[in-house]
Amino acid sequence: MNAPPAIKAVTRLADVAPTEMLNAQRQPLKILVVDDEAVFRALLQNLLEKMGMQVVAVGSGAEAVASFMHDQPDMVLMDVMMPGVDGYQATEYIRDLSGDSFIPIIFITTISDEDELAQCVMRGGNDFLTKPINPAVLQAKIEAFSQLRRLYKAVKSQRDELAQHNRWLKREYEIAEGVFAKVMHSGGLTSPNIKYMLSPQAIFNGDLLLAAYRPSGELHLMLGDFTGHGLSAAIGTIPVADIFNGMTAKGFPIPEIVAEINQKLQRILPRGLFFAAALLELDAKNHKLSAWVGGVPDILIYGAEQKALAGRFTSTSFPLGVMATDQLDCHVESMEVRPGDRIFLYTDGVPEARNSDNAMFSQERLEQCFNDGYEPSVLYERILWELDQFRGAPEQSDDVTLIEVTVDPSVSNPQATSNALAPRSPSEWSASFEFSAESLRGYDPLPMMMQVLLETQRLHQHKQRIYMVLAELFLNALEHGLLKLDSSLKEGAGGFGEYYQEKERRLAHLNVGVIKVSFRHAVNGSGGRLAIQIEDSGPGFDFQQRLKQVDENPGIHGRGIMMIRSVCESLVYSGAGNIAEAVYPWSLGDGLD
Amino acid sequence: MALTRNISADGKVVTIKINGRFDFSVHQEFREAYDAGRGKASDFVLDFANTEYIDSAACGMLLVFRDAVGGNSANIGIVNANHEIVKTLTMLQFHKMFKIA
Repeated sequence: MNAPPAIKAVTRLADVAPTEMLNAQRQPLKILVVDDEAVFRALLQNLLEKMGMQVVAVGSGAEAVASFMHDQPDMVLMDVMMPGVDGYQATEYIRDLSGDSFIPIIFITTISDEDELAQCVMRGGNDFLTKPINPAVLQAKIEAFSQLRRLYKAVKSQRDELAQHNRWLKREYEIAEGVFAKVMHSGGLTSPNIKYMLSPQAIFNGDLLLAAYRPSGELHLMLGDFTGHGLSAAIGTIPVADIFNGMTAKGFPIPEIVAEINQKLQRILPRGLFFAAALLELDAKNHKLSAWVGGVPDILIYGAEQKALAGRFTSTSFPLGVMATDQLDCHVESMEVRPGDRIFLYTDGVPEARNSDNAMFSQERLEQCFNDGYEPSVLYERILWELDQFRGAPEQSDDVTLIEVTVDPSVSNPQATSNALAPRSPSEWSASFEFSAESLRGYDPLPMMMQVLLETQRLHQHKQRIYMVLAELFLNALEHGLLKLDSSLKEGAGGFGEYYQEKERRLAHLNVGVIKVSFRHAVNGSGGRLAIQIEDSGPGFDFQQRLKQVDENPGIHGRGIMMIRSVCESLVYSGAGNIAEAVYPWSLGDGLD
Repeated sequence: MALTRNISADGKVVTIKINGRFDFSVHQEFREAYDAGRGKASDFVLDFANTEYIDSAACGMLLVFRDAVGGNSANIGIVNANHEIVKTLTMLQFHKMFKIA
């Protein structure tokens, strides 16, 4: 060991070095010196201390390991050749102990053979120095490693921070997902006539599927898609679901729900974010399907009888949240459906599904499935199968959302009575309304009137029946009294569709006439009697003759009259037949519907 | 280059050509492209000759673009769009807001 020349050099360097030799926390670097030669140890210690470092010096490999644990040095200068645990072995232990923190280990050796030197690095050293030590080289190396160590520490803390942030974000997403899942799954999707496959990423894809029943029993279903991905796409689903579920439960028709959602989104969404959607109403009992489509693929109807595509609804409106509500076309189109017919809705993930050649499944391939004569009951599975065949990789079927609704008049709201409030004790009250032609043209007053009835007497358990009575009487007054539509129009093939088209047409041009509705409620023992009277300004009809027909041919004529009679204690026509009054009795004990 | 911009000699017509997929990844570039022509330009042309696909986020960007260059009085043409893109734009009723040729 040729120390003397080195010492001189060190004194000079030490004068300039101390401030540089600090670790990241502005504390002096702590160096562990390991050498079995006491003289060399002392020399190195002296040298490093003059450079401004804190030094722990030990004389064996075993002591080095113990000191490493106890003193937690920032860096190690390690002699290779030592009796007992040699430098290589000590290094191995220290590496095990230091985990993922970076502790530079520099071997001090007398070896000058290149292979042996390479061995130093192979055995876990970061670098080596040969004796005699050149203080300038020593200082330069320590400085370089100190910098590297700082860099490593910075990267590591950023990595830890990122990992922490990721965990946090994941938790947030889980919470959000829970909330969104509840939003999505409230309502009527459990109906036995609805089959659906929803992309597992649906929520954060901005896809929304909802189903709910009107008090009168019609099914409302909405499938929509917000622009974009992630939370920004998902956030709008909550107000939309609230409006859809709330307004449907109160009996509002599709056009008013569409307008309300648009209004809301227009107000809350930033420009460029919008909601493309389809809303449909299925009145299975009356074979009527109505839909509004804004910016999503066609709704397809599979005819059970003809085993072929029987109809479609095509996008006719802007998506929601794009235009001011008065510029939005909220009207629904209607068609007649038959029991057993299947209604298909899907997101663009279906026609746009790609195979390994990057070809798209396409609308044409999808519609081909509708024209191969499949049994209606297997078509849904058939479409999914074709899609999987096309893609060749079923595990990719992630962004596919497909819904099938079967027209089934026997299905009703699965949650009808689940959260109905008990009626208020009966009281005496009355209310009346008068609707002019102008208000009838653009507005369906039934939900509003139902709301009044429900709020006043809290007859939620009787909601469906009362709605039925009110709707039958009101629609009779409107369709036959004011619009003068002939029921026999419904009888021919495709009659329902024709009838409703004609209704829309005449309603749009209605400019004279009035309908008066009055409610009178009276106490009757533990319950009450709700009298509903509806008077229209139309010419009336020969109700004596009509009632006789109904009595003589039950089921053929006047289904509406029979339905009202089945729940009311009386149904009386007066005037020229333009005044009808039905009395609905109820008692507190009823837990009907 | 996902996007190229061309301004006519008189500065009145700005043509923006989008290559490949038109989605949120070109958001910044697209914005810069129309921002540069604003003020002087009266007509905008989006050339989709080399555009393979448009996603819903890009459709949203079109609305922002339309607002930025005059809203209802904006004069924006979309040319050379492929069948699928025209279908998508029509489904969204964008043919009522943009001249699709």
